[in-house]
Amino acid sequence: MRMRFTVAIASVVALGSSVPVLAHHSFAAEFDSDNPIDLTGTVTKIEWMNPHTFIYIDVENEQGKYENWALEMGSPNGLMRRGWTRNTLKVGDVVSVTGSRARDGTLKGNARAVMLASGERLFSGSSQPGAEPQESN
Amino acid sequence: MNKFIATLAAAGAVLAALPAAAQNGAAHEPHASEPPTPRFPDGTVDFGGDGIWDQPWITDFGRQLVGSDEIPFLPWTKAMYDYNKSTNVAYDPQGFCLPPGGPRSMGTPYPSEIIQDFAHERIIIIFEGGAHVWREIHMDGRPLPNREDVNPTYFGYSVGHYEDDGSTLVVETTGFNEKTWLNFNGTMHTDELSTTERFSRPNRDTLHYEATIDDPGAYTEPWTIAWDVPWAEGLELAEYICQENNKFLIDLVDELGNPFFKKVPVE
Repeated sequence: MRMRFTVAIASVVALGSSVPVLAHHSFAAEFDSDNPIDLTGTVTKIEWMNPHTFIYIDVENEQGKYENWALEMGSPNGLMRRGWTRNTLKVGDVVSVTGSRARDGTLKGNARAVMLASGERLFSGSSQPGAEPQESN
Repeated sequence: MNKFIATLAAAGAVLAALPAAAQNGAAHEPHASEPPTPRFPDGTVDFGGDGIWDQPWITDFGRQLVGSDEIPFLPWTKAMYDYNKSTNVAYDPQGFCLPPGGPRSMGTPYPSEIIQDFAHERIIIIFEGGAHVWREIHMDGRPLPNREDVNPTYFGYSVGHYEDDGSTLVVETTGFNEKTWLNFNGTMHTDELSTTERFSRPNRDTLHYEATIDDPGAYTEPWTIAWDVPWAEGLELAEYICQENNKFLIDLVDELGNPFFKKVPVE
């Protein structure tokens, strides 16, 4: 526990001097960190592209209808360093995604982490400040 | 998870109590356990190796000041800084996949590689992010040209030399265009900008970067920033082509709610 506390302190001190993100544009201009999303659905499309990878998932809403969400992740180079490969996700996989919804209210969000069908959870290179714990510097 | 958040909050309180000076551009204190600074046979610092410089976060220049507490804005740069803040820095040129330019290139959260080409008396710095660009530093002893004699560019015209018995690379740059922001946070500059950068490597795993920004068109006096960039042993640069599918721009609207780029109706 003491070790974890030390790591947390290091993280916050680092946050104080800089913003850990993987971004080419402003997170706050597009997404609302006060509007979190936690979605589970079936992958319908994967765009393994720059500057942001997008995955699209069909999510059942409260009315029982399926809606297709677009979820922004980091760039392929950044995702690769977080353990992703182009084979990590496949169309038809059921995944859970946590993150923030777009300010414009559309079915778009910024993914912070993705729980894969295998149960493995990977950070997805979110551009949200502080989205990922930092264990160094 | 709640425990983790509570821990963060507690750590935040500790942080708030720290003197501001301790957070600003603090020089890196080498530890005995860190691998030593790599050097060439003549003693000159080697900025390369089996790895890359892996800047993990966006660097806020206002929090990395050396020798002062505030950026010395002129009224117009302060007004633009406030405006850019009010728009959540939506119009950051780097969001348009344009190069960072200037010291921001070392403060952008993508890796870089510094190649010291002694045979051809130049240094090339390759940036994985920021539009997948590079800059060249002339090391053949040529003088820094007058700003008026250089065509303005994103990275400007750079000449460098070593100081401190080869431990510090000093780079002077002029001839910047006005198409970049100095900083993610919306600090702007004019083409009167010149910079003096100092690169050193106190141990294998740390690049200490310092830059003095001199722009009488934008600031009342020169100001200096500094931070450390960590080394990632064993990693290599990867491809990143920002322009490929920039949905951010497609969806970007201005303050009146109009598309930032005019949409042309399809006939």
